[in-house]
Amino acid sequence: MNLERLPNEEKLSLCRKYYLGGFALLPFLWLVNVVWFFKEAFVKPPFTEQTQIKTYVKRSGLGLFCWVTILTTWITIYQHFRAQWGEVGDYLSFTIPLGTP
Amino acid sequence: MNASDSDEELYNERSALVPSENPEVPSYRPDPDHSPTEDSDSKTTGFSRRTRPGGGSEREAEPEEEEEEELPLKYGAKHVIMLFIPVTLCMVVVVATIKSVGFYSEKTTQQLIYTPFTEDTPDVGRRLLNSVLNTVIMISVIVVMTILLVVLYKYRCYKFIHGWLILSSLMLLFWFSFMYLGEVFKTYNVAMDYVTVAVLIWNFGAVGMVCIHWKGPLALQQAYLIFISALMALVFIKYLPPWSAWVILAAISVYDLVAVLSPKGPLRMLVETAQERNEPIFPALIYSSAMMWTVTMANPADDQPSETDEEAELSGRRAEPQRRQPGPILEDELEEERGVKLGLGDFIFYSVLVGKAAATGGDWNTTLACFVAILIGLCLTLLLLAIFKKALPALPISITFGLIFYFSTDFLVQPFMDNLVNHQFYI
Repeated sequence: MNLERLPNEEKLSLCRKYYLGGFALLPFLWLVNVVWFFKEAFVKPPFTEQTQIKTYVKRSGLGLFCWVTILTTWITIYQHFRAQWGEVGDYLSFTIPLGTP
Repeated sequence: MNASDSDEELYNERSALVPSENPEVPSYRPDPDHSPTEDSDSKTTGFSRRTRPGGGSEREAEPEEEEEEELPLKYGAKHVIMLFIPVTLCMVVVVATIKSVGFYSEKTTQQLIYTPFTEDTPDVGRRLLNSVLNTVIMISVIVVMTILLVVLYKYRCYKFIHGWLILSSLMLLFWFSFMYLGEVFKTYNVAMDYVTVAVLIWNFGAVGMVCIHWKGPLALQQAYLIFISALMALVFIKYLPPWSAWVILAAISVYDLVAVLSPKGPLRMLVETAQERNEPIFPALIYSSAMMWTVTMANPADDQPSETDEEAELSGRRAEPQRRQPGPILEDELEEERGVKLGLGDFIFYSVLVGKAAATGGDWNTTLACFVAILIGLCLTLLLLAIFKKALPALPISITFGLIFYFSTDFLVQPFMDNLVNHQFYI
């Protein structure tokens, strides 16, 4: 799928769909949105739909940033306190490392 | 764990090497009386044009006969490279996983239901017989699934096929990657909680489904296709019994040859029907490396990878030559290069071969030998594709070379090298 080929309305629609899709707990979709449409939104010379694409890209970026902070915080908490939580820690764990820490 | 039925069609339709759709590229020469018969040559002239960008001003003087002198090869080195890279990446992923994650090269007592005969017998003859029987069952399952798919396609049961493909890619993207992630974490002794894993797998799978079955950046789609081929290959490497795997590889390359080249072969019918109806073959089955080139006076050649719909292209392009002024010739010229498409089954079986060489072969010699053999085979296949210009099976040549190299390296070269090193004899 080459963005160059698409008319601007379709680019906008694609960007919007990716933006809306990201709300289904899909920060990766927001990441793809930001990377893919970055050139369209910020580098290309202005065209009609560019302002809207820009807002979508910015909001996707914001959402992505929020998710990254939330995930990093949770992972840090989990890794640090897992051993201390005892049973709850094991219950939450998908893989438990072997050996003594 | 038994792999489910929905895996089957993943690889049976995917063993084909197809030239991408072959539209008439409109001539971009300014001469209005340029005959349409030379349109098919305009693609090949694209190569030579790009190699002499400075010669633009003399182009007006270029006689038209030069086009006929161009080689009738439709694909060149660029296309070979465009396929080498994904095939290499797939094999690298598989070999890296095999070498690091022990799970995929552990012996397992479980077998797929498609290979019911066990290979645990001490008798060589019995073992050989069992592997041949396993192969027969596996190949017949593949044949049946292929024919089923072609029949469904012919009778336009698109919904059913789409549903089938979606189900199988769902399983690959979610379940198999979940297992893979689990095994990687266990290997590196990393603690991971369900929450993070759920988020990771959900994101990976959902974006994969969107990219493969709907619209997404080409690079990401290619990456996902490579990854799911690698996953599938790993499943095969784990669950196929050793001797059966080699016999199956040999048998499936013969089947591929038959299915694509014989007039009533199912794969050939699939490709022909798709071409008749001017539809692309389902994206979940084929890896496409299409590219588009644009040459203008001001900017140097700017290539962007694209998966194109040729018909919409052409109607836009045909308008181009007419509205161009008879000024400098290189202004606003558009050239199109069609990429090559390779079925995902080819990726899978190449990776199975190299992966098994890495898992059970001696050491890196064998693995590298198989890798080189497969790439040579792919090169030759692309050469044949450029000459014959129709869908060709990509498995036979590569797998044959791969098998020859594997067995000869494992049984001849390896002991030879070891002996030389033992006796400190350098040649």
